[in-house]
Amino acid sequence: MISDIVAQYTTPEASLGFGSEALPSQRGFLSGDVAHQFNSLAFDLPRTQDPVDFLHTYTDVKSAEDNLIKLAHGTTTLAFKYASGVVVATDSRATQGSVISSQSVKKVIEINPYLLGTMAGGAADCAFWERELGRRCRLYELRNKERISVAAASKLLANMVYSYKGMGLSMGTMISGWDKTGPNLFYVDNDGLRLKGDLFSVGSGATYAYGVLDSGYNHELSKADAIELGKRSIYHATHRDAYSGGSVRVFHINESGWEFISLTDVDDLHWEYTDQARAP
Amino acid sequence: MSARIDQTATGFDFGLAKRNASLEASGVKAPNATKTGTTIVGLIFKDGLVLGADTRATAGSIVADKNCEKIHYIAPNMYCCGAGTAADTEYTTNMISSQMALHNMSTGRESRVVTAMTLLKQYLFRYQGHISAALVLGGYDVTGPHLYTIYPHGSTDKLPYVTMGSGSLAAMSVFESRWRPDMERQEAIDMVKDAIEAGIFNDLGSGSNVDVCVIEKGKVDYLRNYAKPNERVQKEQSYKFARGTTAVIKTSIRDLVTVTEDTAMDITA
Amino acid sequence: MVGKNCVAIASDTRLGAQAMTVDMNFPKIFPMTDHTMIGLAGLATDVLTLRDQFKYKVKMYHLKEDRVMAPRTLAHVVSSTLYEKRFGPYFVEPIVAGLDPRTHEPFICCTDTIGCIDFAKDFVVVGNATENLYGMCEGLWEPNLEPEDLFETISQALLNAVDRNALAGWGAVVHVITPERVITRNLKARCD
Repeated sequence: MISDIVAQYTTPEASLGFGSEALPSQRGFLSGDVAHQFNSLAFDLPRTQDPVDFLHTYTDVKSAEDNLIKLAHGTTTLAFKYASGVVVATDSRATQGSVISSQSVKKVIEINPYLLGTMAGGAADCAFWERELGRRCRLYELRNKERISVAAASKLLANMVYSYKGMGLSMGTMISGWDKTGPNLFYVDNDGLRLKGDLFSVGSGATYAYGVLDSGYNHELSKADAIELGKRSIYHATHRDAYSGGSVRVFHINESGWEFISLTDVDDLHWEYTDQARAP
Repeated sequence: MSARIDQTATGFDFGLAKRNASLEASGVKAPNATKTGTTIVGLIFKDGLVLGADTRATAGSIVADKNCEKIHYIAPNMYCCGAGTAADTEYTTNMISSQMALHNMSTGRESRVVTAMTLLKQYLFRYQGHISAALVLGGYDVTGPHLYTIYPHGSTDKLPYVTMGSGSLAAMSVFESRWRPDMERQEAIDMVKDAIEAGIFNDLGSGSNVDVCVIEKGKVDYLRNYAKPNERVQKEQSYKFARGTTAVIKTSIRDLVTVTEDTAMDITA
Repeated sequence: MVGKNCVAIASDTRLGAQAMTVDMNFPKIFPMTDHTMIGLAGLATDVLTLRDQFKYKVKMYHLKEDRVMAPRTLAHVVSSTLYEKRFGPYFVEPIVAGLDPRTHEPFICCTDTIGCIDFAKDFVVVGNATENLYGMCEGLWEPNLEPEDLFETISQALLNAVDRNALAGWGAVVHVITPERVITRNLKARCD
């Protein structure tokens, strides 16, 4: 029976509401029985009165020098809603200081066939919490016999990271998808901020992307034009921003879920666009 | 003689110091200066003295120069090994060298090692250690062989065997266990070589080759790269690229007229 | 880089303010005499100041001495100009590359910001991507490269080094100096 299986991995509804995430228990991540462990995911925290304050004494999350192994710090990601869906586009560069550690990072995270997340900030934080989000969305589906709304999914994520507020998580993500209400787009970050909107860009190259995006955006864009706008915005951001680059990865979301569109090296795009500009 | 155009005040120019401080405050990082890392040594033997140095220059963790010269000329009978900030050791020894030359010309006598030592310590003391030159000064004058160490703040030692730099402990271990008075020339050279090699192999700031300078009465032997314990092996294959590998957008060629005789004065440059 | 009877000097062409790329065609290598060029990496305002200052000193030398300044001489001019500001340095690391005006003997060197000269027989690197460049050059350089081969080697070393550095690139320029001519090439480079 499905409900038995669900029950095995869940505790009563009451504890699932907001607040159950606040300050996870001080047990280790892998202790306790299976049901409890999966439900209240928790990391080891310093056993002090105020763990946040304690962590601030020993970790300076603001200085890059102290966080040398934080991948994907420089980034350009964008997503926008328009008449026939959502376009999600990202660059693919990861840097450690001024060294480019990868030119082929996948900054779009496929949460489930109807939900996409993007990655900016700490790669590990984004990947881990969005995978955890995927698990919770699946449980929601099993429990309620319908897909979770994008609004609810993004709120789950916001609540999860909010419970670790101030402890050094670093993520700026856009949760987008298609649900009963149509295309939806939310911005969620490590402060616990969650915003609903039509158009977002996140990362060090976001200002450049916004510039192109805003000047070309129109709700009634055709699918091809919308995809081209996403691609062009990321390209221009990679061109001006030192910490963005590699390839442009584009996804599109419509009522049947997300669809991978393209992966284009920005070097090819650069010569394509400059040739276009030169032609009369 | 027409007025000098290039006339500037001598000494250091602090003009950019404030600008740089504000630049650094706003996040611009200054590239770091080349240091010598360094093992430098000197010892006195029966007929004179031997100076020794490794040849590695570093910039942070990077080896900036694999074969630099750290034994600097001061006077015909006097040389000086330098450790610390490479530019400082270079310019400090250079300047003292020119002062020694002038002094020599005005007195008409052979330079004495104490004179150079005093000039150096007074100069370094004046800058309160900000000129980071740690030196081993050695020479042979009318009063015999002399060996000094001079620290960046201006203090000096006069000893029969000395070491300096980041590899000084490794090198001193060799001297402390083996040095004795009135050694023969070759024995002294070998011991200096061993001391420098101790630094090269045991100190990360020192490396590459051994330079040696033997100073005796009226005679100097500068043995550049006396030992090369770290020679690079030849690459077994060539990494030459086929011509045309690199994509070129634009080529421009400037043909030069080669003047074989030094007659025409070309002021287009 | 030194080749057989020739030298090559190359740089990227980015001018940036931290992460923001401002100019993609900013020259950092300047001819000083027929056979000598100087490359200046660092703070743009100092690059321009020093370019003018060195040019002035080279020309004055020419007028006073009635001979062309040798690259080795220029290296010492550069060094003492920088060391004068030992306690308030220019944020610039120069490279001097050229052929001796009389003998056409190749010469290259670089200095740090306070004028410590690093003479080298093979290659010198300065600036932002030095770690990457050292790796590339140690691997690719070999002695006695002909001008055309030297061009390929220095170009590939530079391009591949800056492709792994976020703050460099956006175009590159290479000068190969031979006794007969100076060949300047603008390279096609990644622009991200």
